[in-house]
Amino acid sequence: MVSLSINGQTYPVDVPDDMPLLWVLRDVIGLTGTKFGCGIAQCGACTVHLDGQAVRSCVLPVGTIGNRAITTIEAVGNTPSGQKIQQAWLDVDVVQCGYCQSGQIMAAAALLAHTPNPNDADIDAAMSGNLCRCATYVRIRAAIKQAATGKAELQQTIVSMPEGAAS
Amino acid sequence: MRRFLLIVVILLLVGTGVYLYLNRSDQADGTAPTVAGAPPSADVLARGEYLTKAADCAACHTVPGSNRAFAGGVPFRLPFGTIYSSNITADESTGIGSWSDDEFVRALHDGIGKHGEHLYPAFPYTSYTLLSRSDVLAIKAYLFSLPKVSLPNKPNDLSFPYNQRWSIGFWNAAFFKSQRFQPDAAQSPQWNSGKYLATALGHCAECHTPRNGMFALQHGEELSGEELQGWHAYNITSDQTHGIGAWSDGELAGYLSTGHADGRGSASGPMAEAVENSLRFLQPADTSALIAYLRSVPARTGKDPITVDSKPAAALASSDFAPAGDDHADAQGAKLFEGACAGCHQWNGKGQQTPYASLIGTRGVNDMRGVNVTQILLHGSSLRGEGASIFMPGFGDAYSNTEIAAISNYVIGHFGNKQGTVTPDDVAARRNQM
Repeated sequence: MVSLSINGQTYPVDVPDDMPLLWVLRDVIGLTGTKFGCGIAQCGACTVHLDGQAVRSCVLPVGTIGNRAITTIEAVGNTPSGQKIQQAWLDVDVVQCGYCQSGQIMAAAALLAHTPNPNDADIDAAMSGNLCRCATYVRIRAAIKQAATGKAELQQTIVSMPEGAAS
Repeated sequence: MRRFLLIVVILLLVGTGVYLYLNRSDQADGTAPTVAGAPPSADVLARGEYLTKAADCAACHTVPGSNRAFAGGVPFRLPFGTIYSSNITADESTGIGSWSDDEFVRALHDGIGKHGEHLYPAFPYTSYTLLSRSDVLAIKAYLFSLPKVSLPNKPNDLSFPYNQRWSIGFWNAAFFKSQRFQPDAAQSPQWNSGKYLATALGHCAECHTPRNGMFALQHGEELSGEELQGWHAYNITSDQTHGIGAWSDGELAGYLSTGHADGRGSASGPMAEAVENSLRFLQPADTSALIAYLRSVPARTGKDPITVDSKPAAALASSDFAPAGDDHADAQGAKLFEGACAGCHQWNGKGQQTPYASLIGTRGVNDMRGVNVTQILLHGSSLRGEGASIFMPGFGDAYSNTEIAAISNYVIGHFGNKQGTVTPDDVAARRNQM
């Protein structure tokens, strides 16, 4: 029996220690917002936060997590950086097919939490491991900058401006 | 003329005599020191199973991932061709089911097959010759208790003159001595047990001891490191700088039983196989004995010494999520690391999802020639243990030789604080090895 702290709630789960967290999230607990992409930590679709750090849940054995706090896409909007990132994502309309986007948002929210005003190199270092086969990279970069500064980066596709934006 | 012929005949007779003398078999049964996991009081099959694991028979005789245990067929690509391991299940026609006890003992003690043919020393009879007859027969009993697999042996693909089995007789005369393990009364029982585990059973030297031009072990250079099948088997002498002299007992025990020691490294490639198939099954007392023996192996520098920088500036300046301190870093290598590697290894080399992915302090990233870094990038690595399955995917199909060289040199610079010397040509050569 493993006890996991996910999105502020405690989940006792009866799974083998070496089961990757992603399996537990999706198949055991039913939090299906986190996606399976490659299964070998090469695409980033399964990214979640462990004590605020972006990690690949597809290769993270649950037995090694202990009492560290897990945050998934379902609750990242409750964190300040997650809230800003999700709003910018909507305003720039980053998403195309969407499959990789929960991972992209988790990676971007972690970046913004530790680097509040990232430059291009910071964004590359944090986001290069998250692949998007629709190639929404230009809008991802713009949305991260917009979330950081509050200044509109690209044409805004939703009428409302992000919180704190200069009007 | 007559005198000349006489001299020729005498020389032939003397030569034959010397040949036979040097190839003489030690018929002694031998006595093994006590191995904690296989005490003499235990059931023969239980002893056989433990000894079979300690001797790592599976590494060569079971194709990884196949369900045909001990049925052979594992290829060994050597500079002079490919040798395939043989079927050692009890199947009568394709395995060793028809072998008598004496025939099996002769194979392990003298390197001679059922029909009197010389076996290639890829089969480490050079080490197994030290096993006691009782241990050899326990191994046989265990192998014969397992399911028979009908699988004909693959013919070896060796070039001339290496395909001439009789020539091994001369190799044996020069480099092999049939002999049982001789305990050293001046040493502790633990040390003797450890030596037996390291030599007769674990045959560590077969990978870790340098070989000469005739592919024979250089005994004066014991365990000082060698490159085999494209992988660097590191120096495991007691040398403080180049060997394992500075490792703590806990680090050594952890490495041997789990394949990882924090700040020292993770077993990959053939060593991962040795941990997976063999070393992790050793009882703690046997692991301790093995360590006690290794500690007594004289310190040697070896031919390609690696000096580990345990505090590489660039990696220490980096955080979990961002790089720093790489002013002169290979730009292409850094870009590739950013996309493919940082998610698991992290910029500070801590290892994100598993400590097995930590890089600081490992000999791999401190080897300027990047031998094992290149191998693991090309071919990946996996280590299956109890409650843990550790793997790194191979990138050989995804990246060009130039890219693999760039990543290797970046990793050596960032985590080893050294100028890597890996060229695309090196990578091309290593692609074909393993």
